[in-house]
Amino acid sequence: MEAKPEEKAEFEEPEIEYVSYGGEHHLPLIMNLVDQELSEPYSIFTYRYFVYLWPQLSFLAFHKGKCVGTVVCKMGEHRNTFRGYIAMLVVIKPYRGRGIATELVTRSIRMMMESGCEEVTLEAEVTNKGALALYGRLGFIRAKRLFHYYLNGVDAFRLKLLFPPPRQVL
Amino acid sequence: MADKPVYEEASIDGQPSKLASIPASDTTVWADASPLLQAACAGLRDGELIHGDNFNLFAAMSALEIMDPKMDSGIVCTYYSIDEAIENGAAPIPISLDSTIDVCRTIDIMDHLLACEAAWHKGHSLAQTVFSCIYLLRLDRTAPHALLHSYCRIIRATCKAVVSVVSDARTHEEEDLFTMTYGLPLNGDGDDKCLSILNAVEETISRQLRACKATSSKRRLPEDLEPLQSNPNLEEGFCKALLCRLRFRKHFFHVLSCMKRPQGRGLESARKHIASCLTELESILKSADFLRSCFDESCEGDIDDKTTASGFEPIGFDAMLNSRLSAPTPPRAIKILSWKKGVEYFVKLLHDLDVICSYSLDPHLESLLRFVVQFQKSQPDLVARSHLQLLLVQDGKLYGRDPFFAVINKAAALPEATKNHDIQKNESFLQLGMLVMNLLKILCTNAAWQRRKLGKFLQDWRVIYVQLELAFRNEYGEVSSSSNDENTCMKIFQHILLWVEEQTFWIAFRFLILGFELELYSTGEYCMVYWYLYAVLIKLAEKTHLMMAVSHDTAKRKGKKKKDSPKDLARESRIPPAVLFLQCYICLAEGLTMYLSRCLLL
Repeated sequence: MEAKPEEKAEFEEPEIEYVSYGGEHHLPLIMNLVDQELSEPYSIFTYRYFVYLWPQLSFLAFHKGKCVGTVVCKMGEHRNTFRGYIAMLVVIKPYRGRGIATELVTRSIRMMMESGCEEVTLEAEVTNKGALALYGRLGFIRAKRLFHYYLNGVDAFRLKLLFPPPRQVL
Repeated sequence: MADKPVYEEASIDGQPSKLASIPASDTTVWADASPLLQAACAGLRDGELIHGDNFNLFAAMSALEIMDPKMDSGIVCTYYSIDEAIENGAAPIPISLDSTIDVCRTIDIMDHLLACEAAWHKGHSLAQTVFSCIYLLRLDRTAPHALLHSYCRIIRATCKAVVSVVSDARTHEEEDLFTMTYGLPLNGDGDDKCLSILNAVEETISRQLRACKATSSKRRLPEDLEPLQSNPNLEEGFCKALLCRLRFRKHFFHVLSCMKRPQGRGLESARKHIASCLTELESILKSADFLRSCFDESCEGDIDDKTTASGFEPIGFDAMLNSRLSAPTPPRAIKILSWKKGVEYFVKLLHDLDVICSYSLDPHLESLLRFVVQFQKSQPDLVARSHLQLLLVQDGKLYGRDPFFAVINKAAALPEATKNHDIQKNESFLQLGMLVMNLLKILCTNAAWQRRKLGKFLQDWRVIYVQLELAFRNEYGEVSSSSNDENTCMKIFQHILLWVEEQTFWIAFRFLILGFELELYSTGEYCMVYWYLYAVLIKLAEKTHLMMAVSHDTAKRKGKKKKDSPKDLARESRIPPAVLFLQCYICLAEGLTMYLSRCLLL
């Protein structure tokens, strides 16, 4: 089977429209993207859990009306720290490598920071060089290695971004 | 008696009324809910949700969509049950009426089982690997087929033994999948006789091999023996192929049994069986050429990916039959290791076990710690690590033999006599013993888990130090004491406090070093890490040096008063090699810190 050369979409950065999760009409778009690209089976309830409880943390990227990327997150109290968690991040293949994922994640992290989070975490496969580079650039450190975290036997890194403590008002 | 069914009118779409399948009774009556449901459809707006008080969205995440093959373990299968599979001929006995093909297919089953076993050891569920074998799931029906039956029995007994070892070692988190045997027929009646059953089969095939060799050399043996299979040209090859497989299983089972013996008593015997295993594995590998060439048909695809030596697909396996038992996760098609990789895995496992069996059970903790660290460098898998752990910690003693207080006593360079001192009953000393025991267990786990545990463990070691120091000060607030016993107690405290500090820094050092192996540090962080290492190593070297000075003191006091020879004096002023080694590390760490900091500045 010959591998087709990957078709890259042609676009300029300003053509990408970033939108905060706006309601039920966005849910099927997110579900389709994630179902396509990630191998984990999520029921609709999983999506609803995130977007219903933290709609302000999920973002979608559109190009000419077509949804090309999404990030889905949550935040909450975890062992005495208020922490954000990035659950899903997807950009369809033709649109990768152009900073869309970084922009989606950045918007979400900014929202988390504004909401009072002290840190942000996520898990990523140790073999996922793209994700590790992306988050590395944003300042995430590899806090832990999780042995055989994924069912295919691959290890994961727990990535963590620590926010600087709020500046003291003098 | 059921009441006569009541006919109800259905009002949706003007459909004719349907027969109610559940009859109404005296206390119940059917009511048409269609209008209510129709009204309800308009009652919820986009995005609204109704749920019970104690059922929230978080709980809903665990919901499975029934009949979605990604989530519903029961939906994807060729056969609904093992019995159905058997009825449909998925696991025939005999496998073939042609004895040659039957033998060939039996060998395929043996090979595939080995590959499955390796896949299981590597982290997949037992149910989807070894127990994907229908013959194994219904072992009793294989009784008419001596070869298959004996092989399946020993596989079952082996799996049970391995599960037992790993369970005793108490695995963690992701490795818990290994010991899940719920619903699997692991306990067989008469499995304790599996070796004798196997021996009988081995004996028969040995005689068949001798017979066919005798025939080829034109000598007739007075044996009334049926050949293994019907093609005389292939008899020798098949006999040999089977013998090495049977013998491997026999010796492997012996390895497990020997290593299980308490206090390392079986280690030497285990080594002999390990050597035999490795020899048989070599023969197994060599048999591949014969097995591939014995039929004209060649198999499709890359031979290296196949799970059998012959390259043919094995008969009698269905991984989805147990999907409901495999794990509390959505169904996954797992890839069984190739046969070659399976053999490679066992070769590595045996080498790792051999290293464990060669260990001299050194009562000195420092040597033991060095040994474990060195052993872990070869990245041993779960089964090997579990064996090591069980050798080291048995019945709350080191090697099942040395009480931990005695071990600590020796490590802290205290005189032999103090190892039985009553002070060991003191709460803090008991806890210290537990800490050492836990340290050994932690050092036997996989590197990722180990590092996390060591990080948390540092806190425990700090706490015990504070506790001991407090106990020391409470007992001996004033320095001078006249009683001999009080002097001894003081000495014990002093040595042990120093030793605890040394251990704490050693753990910190291990914690930092493991980060490299686990690829946790980005290059930008190396400078910082090496700086921390530098700081920790300085303290470690300091404590180690103090420890050695104190142990030298003890040694001196032990010996009779002799005039110090010039040699002795010279030796005293020399830095002990262990400390020198640490100083080398310190220099390296310092140098790297400086170098990397310059790189960052540039």
